[in-house]
Amino acid sequence: MELVDKIIKGERAAIAKAITLVESSKDTDQQISRQLISELIKKPGKSIRVGFSGPPGVGKSTFIESFGSYLVSQNYKLGILAIDPSSQITGGSILGDKTRMVEISKNPNTFIRSTPSRGTLGGISMGTREASIILDAAGYDFIFIETVGVGQSEIVASNLVDIFTLIVGPGSGDELQGIKKGITEYADIFIVNKNDGELKMEASKTAADYKSALSYYKKLDALEKQVLLVSAIEQTGMEDVIKTINQIIDQNKLKGIFDERRADQLEYWIEEEVKNIIASDITKRLTSKGNIPKYSEKVMKNEMSMYEAVETITKDTLKQ
Amino acid sequence: MTNKSNNGFNTWQKSFEKETKKNFSDAKSETDEGIDIKPVYTRDDLENFSFVENNSLPGQWPYTRGPKASMYTNRPWTIRQYAGFSTAEESNEFYKKNLESGQKGLSVAFDLPTHRGYDSDDDLVMGDVGKAGVAIDTVEDMKILFNNIPLDQMSVSMTMNGAVLPVLASFIVAGEEQGVDKSLLSGTIQNDILKEFMVRNTYIYPPEPSMKIVADIIEFTSKEMPKFNSISISGYHMQEAGADNVLELAYTLADGMEYVRAAMSKGLDVDDFAPRLSFFFAIGTDFFMEIAKLRAARTLWAKIMKNFGAKNERSLILRTHCQTSGVSLTEKDPYNNIIRTSYEALSAILGGTQSLHTNSFDEAIALPTDESARIARNTQLILQNETGVTKTVDPLAGSYFVENLTEELSKKAWDIISEIEELGGMTKAVKAGIPKLKIEESATKKQAKVDSGSRVVVGVNKYKNPKEPSVDVRVIDNNRVRDDQIKKIQAIKKSRDTKAVEKALTNLTNAAKDETNLLIPCIEAIKLRATVGEVSKALEQVYGRHFAKSLSVSGVYGKHFEGDEEFMKVESKIKEFENLNGRRPRVLVVKMGQDGHDRGAKIVATSFADMGFDVDMGPLFQSPKDVAKDAIENDVHAIGVSTLAAGHKTLVPELMKGLKEIDPKSKIIVFVGGIIPEQDYEFLYENNVSAIFGPGSNIIESAEKVIDLISDNLSKE
Ligand code: B12
Ligand SMILES: Nc1nc2c(ncn2[C@@H]2O[C@H](COP(=O)(O)OP(=O)(O)O)[C@@H](O)[C@H]2O)c(=O)[nH]1
Ligand SMILES: [Mg+2]
Repeated sequence: MELVDKIIKGERAAIAKAITLVESSKDTDQQISRQLISELIKKPGKSIRVGFSGPPGVGKSTFIESFGSYLVSQNYKLGILAIDPSSQITGGSILGDKTRMVEISKNPNTFIRSTPSRGTLGGISMGTREASIILDAAGYDFIFIETVGVGQSEIVASNLVDIFTLIVGPGSGDELQGIKKGITEYADIFIVNKNDGELKMEASKTAADYKSALSYYKKLDALEKQVLLVSAIEQTGMEDVIKTINQIIDQNKLKGIFDERRADQLEYWIEEEVKNIIASDITKRLTSKGNIPKYSEKVMKNEMSMYEAVETITKDTLKQ
Repeated sequence: MTNKSNNGFNTWQKSFEKETKKNFSDAKSETDEGIDIKPVYTRDDLENFSFVENNSLPGQWPYTRGPKASMYTNRPWTIRQYAGFSTAEESNEFYKKNLESGQKGLSVAFDLPTHRGYDSDDDLVMGDVGKAGVAIDTVEDMKILFNNIPLDQMSVSMTMNGAVLPVLASFIVAGEEQGVDKSLLSGTIQNDILKEFMVRNTYIYPPEPSMKIVADIIEFTSKEMPKFNSISISGYHMQEAGADNVLELAYTLADGMEYVRAAMSKGLDVDDFAPRLSFFFAIGTDFFMEIAKLRAARTLWAKIMKNFGAKNERSLILRTHCQTSGVSLTEKDPYNNIIRTSYEALSAILGGTQSLHTNSFDEAIALPTDESARIARNTQLILQNETGVTKTVDPLAGSYFVENLTEELSKKAWDIISEIEELGGMTKAVKAGIPKLKIEESATKKQAKVDSGSRVVVGVNKYKNPKEPSVDVRVIDNNRVRDDQIKKIQAIKKSRDTKAVEKALTNLTNAAKDETNLLIPCIEAIKLRATVGEVSKALEQVYGRHFAKSLSVSGVYGKHFEGDEEFMKVESKIKEFENLNGRRPRVLVVKMGQDGHDRGAKIVATSFADMGFDVDMGPLFQSPKDVAKDAIENDVHAIGVSTLAAGHKTLVPELMKGLKEIDPKSKIIVFVGGIIPEQDYEFLYENNVSAIFGPGSNIIESAEKVIDLISDNLSKE
């Protein structure tokens, strides 16, 4: 495929077009996209994929601008996939991440793509995983994935990356109760942002809260979870972040965790794809047979019970 | 006896209801401010006031009726036209001509590079030099600007905020070298940084150091320049950006309070500086509302300053400059603008302004020509000399309606001010971006009203002129201006004492690290012929440059069009597009160069998103090259360039070049909106611009054209 060569050469427009293909909802695009990804997967790059998740407004984009500037100044190539929480009312969206990534977006060693989340689970949009494969093949050293963290979503996001980072704000320690259960398993690093000005005290306190909460959940075989204090605005704490990332990556590689994770993610991906295909096939069948309206009418008229209807429809749909 | 219980009123009400076939209680009209205007006001409406005092007099507490006892009966307001373009030489000529024709004070408009602290030879400002104001790079330019204008006699107002230190320093040094001591200089420096972060967008440093600079200037002028207004606390720009009158009033006074606190924190006594605080308001088309606003502003400020412990009466008095509204003026049928401006000017006068700028009828086309500027000036000369409005002080005092409106506005503004105070003051609110968002919301509502036709703009959405007149425009050749400026900079850099300049700049950088008043080392550097850009950079080393984080409103525009056929037509075209192409039409809306007019871009972005587009919003001050990179990486279908400060002929071709450089086969189409004189259309089309949307464009119609153009372009593949 011509597109493959161009991507591998790092041609900006080709990379962009390829991401459009993998994000497209059009059948023909999806077919090309599958071919493309199959080709690219054979030519993996050396990217480390890092996820940054957290509630809206904690400063994810600002942090990426700040941290990213630091990385590009060290001559790293940086690809960024920003999943922008889009307005749901009308379906259109305003993608404003770039107003927070002014400096790095100018740098020739960056590639920044925003995608509207469209309300899919985890703020991860269709195609995010594929987009990171494209950027990997194109030779980016780091791929950052920015997602809005809301409940469940971190799990999905963490499934796409080698290192998963949760960014929180000063004073968020109180919410710890609610999130600590799941999140500690998925996040490798906790970054407390806005450690500056009047917020400094609160930020330190929050970091301490996280540390003590996390100590209960320490896994014996894994690295201790790291809690870092940064200010995206004042660009402080950035060396710690990269040091920690490198440390975790090295350790994980050494212990085989790195490859293990990628293998798990591949499994998960295959499972997901299979489920998707089955689900869409089933949906098609359901609509073409028109069983749902037919049987719900019967339920309404008390001709059969709800569960009888479900069973009948299921049997009929699965029947070849 | 009150009116309501009086038979006369009941009879009136019956007649009213018969004539209009409406209940009196339903017969109200709501203003943008959310105030219900009744069809009639009576003596009852003068009761239960908490701000306005019914029997007050001009020049007396609470100063509702004017800052002075005699007002225009003694001396009319100052005709002060805001102007500046191209080089200092050309602006100087223009000023002198205007002064000969009856203008009384000067008001300098600087170009955008100067505002943002860049010299004319900086690559970042290629398209902006001399375009939207006069270019000032060194004190030599400032001296030329006031050549043969004696600065001990002429009061000079300067709209400068970002680069306020080097520019005020240049003014002081220019005076000195003219033989005028700084203590004799009179005029005003705008020096109002908070509204820059909200709406005007010519900030340089982050909010905190910027506030320190404001306070430094208040401190210095209060000690050294007794005839000079240290600040012009401006609501004008907020209204031009879309704020309604309550927002304008409340945010301006809240800004004022913040500046008072900043100055007091330097150890100044409130009465040391408060008499030299001045204000600036816009005067829009809502005739009585604008009059009431000026009266309310004075009333509220007196109260605010009393709370600050002011003892000197002059500290309590709000003095203001006004400018008629530019945004009420239209590109279509432009002579209508003369009429609009006349009514607005009358409003400002009835409200009791101290000085006034009236806009030219070519406002929505380009900077004024000599001829259009003459008509604008004459609007005021006629008011002063022919109409008799100067003969009575505050002639609307006692009007049931105007007094009631003054009270209503005061109340509403006071509520907002109290809210902001509770949040911790305006600096905090501005940093959080709340006021900006509120103003944008208000601007978007206004646009929706015009686009839906529920608000009539004569010549734009009704009573269109079938034969649009063509008007002359002022053309500025920015390449020539830039070359001239660069030559001057080079000559100065050759002849000055480089070592001494470097030392002065280092001193300045060091001063920024502690609490020293920065104006003093600035004056030193400027005297030695350091440039405006060099001085700004010396401070930037310590403070950094501020980048705004932009938020956007959503759903405000769309809400006005529920069930609207045209709107739904665009929505369904977009859905069709998505089905066909696997994604929504995606448009990148950008601002390039130093042009900070973001009202149009923000409104278009949010409205397009409401219709279903995916809209990428670029940051302010992008270079064409950066825009090209953004556009290609996000694989947008189209780029919408919003350009109002006349940089388009340089910036748009650069963008086209940038796109081709990254992707020779780029299919991204480009359209342009904003202030584009008709004379430039052909040039833009020749440079492959697909469509141009000028002022007054209906956004739904524009959106339909955009989606059609994108679809056409894709089907060509
Ligand atoms: C409002 C305004 C301001 C506000 C801006 C507030 C803000 N945040 O935007 C304030 C008061 C701060 C301001 C300041 C200045 N201004 Co001013 N301003 C205007 C004014 C009066 C209206 C512009 C406006 O907002 N209109 C309302 C919006 C909705 O309309 P619009 O932007 O034109 O957008 C519509 C269409 O053009 C089109 N459109 C526009 N963009 C796009 C994009 C796309 C994708 C699409 C589809 C359509 C589209 O659709 C929109 C809806 O109809 C104009 C004159 C005028 N009447 O147009 C002068 C004007 C633009 N300003 C001017 C100048 C010189 C300045 C200053 C530089 C003055 C100075 N020397 O200091 C400053 C500096 C500002 C800066 N940082 O750049 C000049 C520019 C001269 C020129 N081009 O030759 C003008 C033309 C006035 C004049 N004749 O002198 N200004
Ligand atoms: N004080 C402080 N504010 C920050 C910092 N980082 C981000 N912010 C502010 O937080 C707000 C949200 O930032 P943004 O990056 O858009 O957050 P996101 O939604 O998580 O991507 C903006 O107003 C930023 O200026 C920081 O380090 N310190
Ligand atoms: Mg973000």
